[in-house]
Amino acid sequence: METLTYERSGGTPVARRAHVGVVASGDLELLLEPADTGLRVRVATTAGGYGETWRAVFDRFFAREPIAASIEINDFGATPAVVALRLEQALEAAR
Amino acid sequence: MTIEPSFAEASARERARAILDAGTFRELLDPFARVASPHLAAQGLVAQSDDGVVVARGALAGVDAVAIATEGRFLGGSIGEVGGAKIAGALELAARDLRAGRAFRPVLLIDSGGIRVQEANLALLALAEIHDAILACERYAPVVALIGGRVGAYGGMAIATALCRTIAMSEGARYGLNGPEVVEEEAGIAELDSRDRPRIWRISGGRARVAQGVAQMLVEDTHAACRAAVLAAFGDVEARV
Amino acid sequence: MSRGRVWIDALAGTRAMPLPDGPASVVLADAPLGAGTARYVAVVPNPASRAHRARNGEMGIDEGYGLAAAIDTTPPGSALVAIVDVPGQAFGAREEADALQRSLAAAVSAYVAARERGPVLALVVGRAISGAFLAHGLQASWLGALRDPGVEVHVMSAPSVARVTRSSAEEVARIARIVPATARDVETFASFGALDALLDVTDADAPGDADVARVRDVLARAAADPSLAGRRPVDRLARGGGTRTLSRAVRVRLERDW
Repeated sequence: METLTYERSGGTPVARRAHVGVVASGDLELLLEPADTGLRVRVATTAGGYGETWRAVFDRFFAREPIAASIEINDFGATPAVVALRLEQALEAAR
Repeated sequence: MTIEPSFAEASARERARAILDAGTFRELLDPFARVASPHLAAQGLVAQSDDGVVVARGALAGVDAVAIATEGRFLGGSIGEVGGAKIAGALELAARDLRAGRAFRPVLLIDSGGIRVQEANLALLALAEIHDAILACERYAPVVALIGGRVGAYGGMAIATALCRTIAMSEGARYGLNGPEVVEEEAGIAELDSRDRPRIWRISGGRARVAQGVAQMLVEDTHAACRAAVLAAFGDVEARV
Repeated sequence: MSRGRVWIDALAGTRAMPLPDGPASVVLADAPLGAGTARYVAVVPNPASRAHRARNGEMGIDEGYGLAAAIDTTPPGSALVAIVDVPGQAFGAREEADALQRSLAAAVSAYVAARERGPVLALVVGRAISGAFLAHGLQASWLGALRDPGVEVHVMSAPSVARVTRSSAEEVARIARIVPATARDVETFASFGALDALLDVTDADAPGDADVARVRDVLARAAADPSLAGRRPVDRLARGGGTRTLSRAVRVRLERDW
């Protein structure tokens, strides 16, 4: 098990909180909450050693969607595609 | 024509929402309350923020209700300390309301392999509390159990189910004390081959359990059918829209 | 001879017998206890059982229903004392076909109903595993255990835990030291507030007269304790101290938001 954090400054606040996903094999649970400024992501994952992969997924996603929010991810080995999908769903629900 | 959403494919939260009267779903200790299991990290497992149990207040045909749903995809729907306390605590409050003479409808939407081995004895104590709380409710009013997920109802949660007045099952759901994999592991493949799916469904599938009289209602795997079955179990009928 | 058999015979002071129409594996004895009387019940091995997966004292179909009958026929005014030494539920295809969960639920219901009629006590003298313990012991108002290495409380056998969690026996033992919920020893179980008494005996396998007299005395005092009346499993929560803080906190928050 490993815990990672990711931060960015600036961004547009999200309207409301959102919860998507399940801590199931190949999937993750994501809790998204509004923040006044900046983005802070905390990831707890069963699969250690993928820090760079997470960073790349977040860089790509949040460059396109610069939000101010607090995000908590509980991961059970989701692929980058599933991570991006869950981020998309959460953002959709939080708009 | 639209395809009706599958109950088995839905999450625990979606199931609770689908069963309760539209617009009445109100979750207690939701994921943002972040009351997760403190026992899993030390065992290399990531906790889920609701511990795999959804407790939702709402109404059923206008009557106060609680829908309690276990998330079969999180650690097999297993019951840990927190999830067990959520189920037991909600049923204890339901029993309190019933004892006070209020109309109340407790519904269990079960998709659980039973006790979570990683939280063994604290979960065991919680299961004893759940069993007792179901019987406390049953003194005053029915508790309805619906098994509509991919895991089914096993272990201590199968005993809990058996304590409920009415049990509804979908055809794809299974209900037994020990799952076929467990029986095969403990007793050998000669006792039960867990890959012998036709035999397992003949023993523990929804259609078989209803034919045996072990469950009372066979429901279609749709949100509407599952809700209609729960209402019918409480003696209400709802016109299909 | 199983510990359950040894202790039920010793405490009752007579050979516990099955009900006339009951299974050989469920034995009972009515005997004096303190100023009153008690019905002792136990599940014991029956090597001749037609259910081949329930011959070693496991809770099978006959045992759950048999126990319910033994509980339901407790003479009015008698305390009910469950002697617990159950290695688990029966793992069998036939048990599944016959819906074993219903048999265990019958025993659970019988214990809960018995609490309305009089004192219900349970004494763990050996193994108390999973569904078998849920059906035989955990619904008692008073729960005691012998302080002995042969007393074991868990949800599955030790080899099964290792298999299910894909861990070595050493890893399972290491986890048990840092996650108390997974420990098997009775001292840790007592730390959850689950036990009313932890009793020292000189020989749990072959108790002497002094051991039996001391344990019987503890049972007699418990059966006569008016504060025991109607006590439920949830009432153990308050005694769990720090280990059950979360179980209590969940209830506080549920009640607040109910």
